[in-house]
Amino acid sequence: MTLAAFGWLTEGNNLRFILEGFLINLEIAVVAIILALVAGLGLALLRLSRNRVLSVAAGVWVDVFRNLPLLLLILFLFLWIPQSARDTWEDVMPSWMPEAWQSGLMLAGLSGLVLYNSAVLAEIMRAGIQSLPRGQAEAAHALGLNYWKAMRLVILPQGLRRMVPATVSQLITLTKDTTLVSIIAIVEVMRRARTVTATSGNPFTGGGVEAPILEVFLFVGLLFIIVNYSLSRLSRRLEIREKQRSGSKPDIEVRGLEEQVA
Amino acid sequence: MPFAFVDTLTENFDEFLRGFGTTVELVVVSFVIAMSVGTLIAAFRVAPNPWLQRIGGIYVECFRNIPLLVLIFISYPGLRRAGIDISAFVAGVASLGLYTAAYVAEALRSGVFSVNKGQIEASLSLGFTYPQTMRRIILPQAFRTVISPLGSLIIAMIKNSAILGGSILALNDLLKTGRVVASRTFDVIPAFVWAAVGYLILTGLATLAIRMLEARYAVRR
Repeated sequence: MTLAAFGWLTEGNNLRFILEGFLINLEIAVVAIILALVAGLGLALLRLSRNRVLSVAAGVWVDVFRNLPLLLLILFLFLWIPQSARDTWEDVMPSWMPEAWQSGLMLAGLSGLVLYNSAVLAEIMRAGIQSLPRGQAEAAHALGLNYWKAMRLVILPQGLRRMVPATVSQLITLTKDTTLVSIIAIVEVMRRARTVTATSGNPFTGGGVEAPILEVFLFVGLLFIIVNYSLSRLSRRLEIREKQRSGSKPDIEVRGLEEQVA
Repeated sequence: MPFAFVDTLTENFDEFLRGFGTTVELVVVSFVIAMSVGTLIAAFRVAPNPWLQRIGGIYVECFRNIPLLVLIFISYPGLRRAGIDISAFVAGVASLGLYTAAYVAEALRSGVFSVNKGQIEASLSLGFTYPQTMRRIILPQAFRTVISPLGSLIIAMIKNSAILGGSILALNDLLKTGRVVASRTFDVIPAFVWAAVGYLILTGLATLAIRMLEARYAVRR
């Protein structure tokens, strides 16, 4: 493989075409992690609720969705979400949004990512909250704080801070997982890369230099490696800072999370 | 309706069973690759030679941060177009195996480092040879700390194997079977639910097996 095999990169607007596609993946990841954090916090609170029924129901929900392949969820939602819902999505999305976001397919892709990741994050949050010494909750109650005040003022600020490094690692996984939405024909970096290879160079006119599949996808892989490597460095630094601040190892141990893979 | 739900399974049972078998096969073969390559990379990373350490480090950072789907595109259409005749199955298990190997290497490395250095010194001063120290003192302790992360890797592999069937490789695994049955019978919900049940059986069994191993080898004080 010589440098000449990467000649397609400088041809026409190929580089920009791929980078813009990659930006869509990053946008999907950011939107999905925010929604998943909100939904995950709700699930974690339900899971820790003193109401047995709610707690068991949330536990089953979380265990089911975090043990299913994400791609199965995405493909199912793709077939199951009715056309009317997709149409509504397309109507609601403002026209200044990138093209990929205006597609009704995005509803299925995004729902799948949020469904899966909210379950994973709920488990991280539950572990973060439960890793606090019991005395914290007892002291809050002894001071006269009710359940919600104790949660909001004492438990959550400490518990959630402990889960920041784990959340950043999950964001890495999520960034990789955004490529899966290409399978339901959402046009992001994978689809754009295929367009570049299919038309041998210029995505609009065809012609131009040959863009070999191998080199195109090696380049796409490199983009992910750069972004995710930076995120993992950030996660490690946050972890070290948290250890220094709390003076101890934040002992978050959740099965399937410390080395979460896609 | 509930009967139609069960009918989807009974009428296509052989197909679902074959898909289930393929998924198990993909996971087992990929796991063997992941363990072998992962052990090698972990050995590189703790080796005294700085070049080997660097190679191990680059391997881990590259394969851990690249999406599995990109690896599949590199290894299947990419290599085929470049003139290497690779089958979909080999490309699939190689992608999943090499991808997971990076995580295996990290799990093994942190397992070996979790054992206190004083133990090696104490063991050597008691007259154990170095291989004896490794086999009798270090590895049994490292093994305990590694069971849990390796277990989560197996569960992640079961889930990731669906990407092999869902992508251009189109291997006839459990997810692919669910899709085929859904599009043939138009019973979308039952077809996907039964495929999901198959995956939950696998991840559930794996979770159970890991819990038993952990209980068996847990450190009792």
